[in-house]
Amino acid sequence: MGMAANKVGIISCSGEEIPEGTISRIATRLVLEKLRPEETVTICLPLFLAGSEDERAFARVFPTITVDGCDKRCAEIGTKKYSGKPTATVVVTDILKKYPQLNLKSRDELNAEELELAEKVAEEIAKKVDEALSQKRGAKRRKS
Amino acid sequence: MMESGKVAVVACAGMDKALGSVARASVFKVVEALRPEKTELVCLPPLLVGVSSYSELVKNFPVVVVDGCAERCATKLVVKNGGKIRGRILVPDSVKKQGLVPKSASDIGSDGEKLAGIIAEEVASMVDKLTEE
Repeated sequence: MGMAANKVGIISCSGEEIPEGTISRIATRLVLEKLRPEETVTICLPLFLAGSEDERAFARVFPTITVDGCDKRCAEIGTKKYSGKPTATVVVTDILKKYPQLNLKSRDELNAEELELAEKVAEEIAKKVDEALSQKRGAKRRKS
Repeated sequence: MMESGKVAVVACAGMDKALGSVARASVFKVVEALRPEKTELVCLPPLLVGVSSYSELVKNFPVVVVDGCAERCATKLVVKNGGKIRGRILVPDSVKKQGLVPKSASDIGSDGEKLAGIIAEEVASMVDKLTEE
């Protein structure tokens, strides 16, 4: 994890049970691959339990944003429990409240409407990535 | 009250590897298309944080796990939650056996889809055996 200087970690719930888990996953991948590819990294959530100290150090090394599909908030709780306190959190069901007309159905492949929501969630995550990096730079300046 | 005659299916929710995406895709095929009446898909993250209703599922039903990599997170989490694993698939083994390599984590591609289909059939056959016992 030596490249941590300007990176933000994103940990997604990725849950299989409900469409919101799939939205979390797709939104996270959109941030990692399209919106902020240079500024972000990820780790599988369950790897905190199964992995080594290197994996568990993730949220202590990177400012971390958790992305949860529902209010069980497994990514946030798991990250706190096994690694460190996240810098920011995103919960898909909270964002979904702004779009009451949406009726999510797909757990596997998203339809056009669901993909649009995933893009909105991705933008929300990207905004938090920028805030986390700006906080990090501010803290660095204050130190020097 | 748990329904009898069902099998809990747990897959690696792998976020950063293509093989995790194949694991995920394969169990969707099982629970949505191949054996919807006989299976219960158990979300992996609640097992990590110890949500009791999810632990109950893996304790009360025979479990089939699909792991995406050698870390075997799904297996470890089911065991940690007191579940009895009655069938296991390790996706890297299936890749070797079938010679099908998925494209990426966000798009497993046609080989990945084929592989997910083969794994899904294997899981469905394990489910049939377990529910006939």
